[in-house]
Amino acid sequence: MAIVQLQNVSKAYDTKVAVDDLSFEIAPGSMFGLLGPNGSGKTSSIRMMIGMTLPDTGLVSLFGQPFDRKSVYRVGYLPEERGLYKKMKVIDQLIFLGQLHGLDAVTASKRAHGWCEKMEITEAIPKKTEELSKGMQQKIQFIAALLHEPELIIMDEPFSGLDPVNAALLQNTLLDLNRQGRTVLFSTHRMDQVEKLCDTICLIHRGRKVLAGEMQEIKARYPKNRVEMVFEGDPGFLNHPVVESAKNYNGMAEIRLREGGDAQLLLADAVSKARITRFEVMEPTLEEIFIETVGDRVDA
Amino acid sequence: MRNIWLIAKREYLERVRTRAFLISTLLIPLLMGGGIVVSVMGTSKTKSTSRITIVSRDQLLAVDLQKELEHSKGSEMTVDVISPGNSTTRATLDSMLADRQIDGYLWITPGAQPNERPAFSYTPRSAGDIATKATITTALRTVLMREQLAHDGMVANEVDSLMQPVKVDTTQAGKNADTTSSFVAIYVLFFLMYMVILLYGMNVARSIIEEKTSRVFEILLATITPEEMMAGKVIGVGSVGLTQVAVWLLTAILLTSGSWLQAVAGQSAHISLSAAQIVYFVVFFLLGYLLYSSIAAALGAMVNSEQELQQLNMFLVMPLAGCMFALGPVISNPSSPVSRVISLIPFCTPLIMYLRISLAPPPAWEIGLSIFLMVVTIYGILWCASRIYRVGILMYGKRPNLSEIMRWLKYS
Repeated sequence: MAIVQLQNVSKAYDTKVAVDDLSFEIAPGSMFGLLGPNGSGKTSSIRMMIGMTLPDTGLVSLFGQPFDRKSVYRVGYLPEERGLYKKMKVIDQLIFLGQLHGLDAVTASKRAHGWCEKMEITEAIPKKTEELSKGMQQKIQFIAALLHEPELIIMDEPFSGLDPVNAALLQNTLLDLNRQGRTVLFSTHRMDQVEKLCDTICLIHRGRKVLAGEMQEIKARYPKNRVEMVFEGDPGFLNHPVVESAKNYNGMAEIRLREGGDAQLLLADAVSKARITRFEVMEPTLEEIFIETVGDRVDA
Repeated sequence: MRNIWLIAKREYLERVRTRAFLISTLLIPLLMGGGIVVSVMGTSKTKSTSRITIVSRDQLLAVDLQKELEHSKGSEMTVDVISPGNSTTRATLDSMLADRQIDGYLWITPGAQPNERPAFSYTPRSAGDIATKATITTALRTVLMREQLAHDGMVANEVDSLMQPVKVDTTQAGKNADTTSSFVAIYVLFFLMYMVILLYGMNVARSIIEEKTSRVFEILLATITPEEMMAGKVIGVGSVGLTQVAVWLLTAILLTSGSWLQAVAGQSAHISLSAAQIVYFVVFFLLGYLLYSSIAAALGAMVNSEQELQQLNMFLVMPLAGCMFALGPVISNPSSPVSRVISLIPFCTPLIMYLRISLAPPPAWEIGLSIFLMVVTIYGILWCASRIYRVGILMYGKRPNLSEIMRWLKYS
């Protein structure tokens, strides 16, 4: 049973097509990345998953059933555009949002305190929201999405605006939750941020799916044709026949191999001419894959 | 239902807890009470306690007038009589005026012919003391009339009974209620509704705009429907207004029903209403308030800022003002077809139907139908408002024009 299933979903606003015949599935317990540039239809897709809008055509299923309002209590959602009641105290706010997700006030309060401790913002509990820093407010929203212990956690651009320490804190929390069996959906245009986190991805562009599947499998589909190396000595080996192009930044080189070119041959040649401190065959990044794929589509 | 309740509760508590609410709730009754006390004291003050002097050659007339001014219902003055005055009197009185020993003097010059009216000239210390002058004029008229009647041979008793004020009782067929009090209740309802809608209806709109600008709706709409949110807002923000109005009305009732007021004012300041009238008053006030709050919610859903809201303000007030024009025809003929039709238009129902109930009770089915129509309209407006709201914020984030709104209502 898929936690989320979109079948041929389309959504247009007036003349603009936001989502175009999109289909994908999210398996239980996965870390799913919904990736694409700005305006590619990520948020529109998410809104249809939780019933904020309905698809023009196609079918959305949640937890193995066609969408039903009752299932929204099993979903935790962190929207991209963050907003909290400015004049409300943090704890009242969390209790209110917890209650909206079906909790009673006592449970909501207890869990809110627990989460604030975990997120290292206990000092914010009695304060009004407007007194908090942006990062803190973001953590509050993060907590609000998790208070009711949802089975499906949807995070729209969760790390934007956070410093590296706090981003890591959020990442680790999400990884913990995932280990406990929760399904997590990331939506972001910063592909480098979720590359390590996601096990499954769906890349969309202009409302259409361009690439989907397990991360490892997708990456395996693309050749490892990039080499990064650090060396001392004669850079003559950079003219080796397997090299298609190379950039040399004073002993630090970025090399692109010809199709079918063997990195081992290059390494052997390099060792004979220079001292090698580092030699790494790089995996293609999601961004490269995306650009390559979308570029292909555009050419086609 | 639970969601509506949660939203309403939050809106209510957040607003009631503010200092502004506390201050305005307490301040207005204080001002109101203060105003009543001041005006009551003012009325007793106008029951003039001035000290005046009457100068007249006709001693009988002067003494009669003195009695009338010192002991009649309308005045409690201190009056001295100089009869007759001599050549230095005027100068003496003028200096007394200047020394503030008297508030004014009345100089009576007898007519040249025996049957001619004397001439009266009042010299007040301050030209602004109109009340004393008015009291003197009234007293003079009474005294002169009494004198004339007595002169014509009428006995004093007869004169007094003839000059009693006339009292007319109005009775409505079937009941003894005073129709004037119905009119008073209508005007109270009208101005209450007008004021409350102006003061609080816009708060509903504002609170919806606030949610839009703060983007809180993104989280809220993940679990609740826009309909629930609209309903919760209207109920929550509306209750704040009702709380305040209830506090004010209670204060007003306490103040006006206090026996001290009647003792001081001496007039029948109370309003008598039947139990049914009070029930209808509450029902129609609440329904009217809900209806207009829903319109405010719809306006709030259409705009993105308070400035834009100002421009749409009139849509809230216009229907209510329209009712004002209907008041006349309905009062003169509450059961005419025109009155019946107007009273069934939901925007007019709260005022016009209540007016009809007070004047000439319409058949029960008409009352029932009017209430039903109002409820349906409220629901319909809220439904449209939540549509506009959802489509507006989720898809465009701009202020729609009319054709766009019509199109949005069809979106899912």
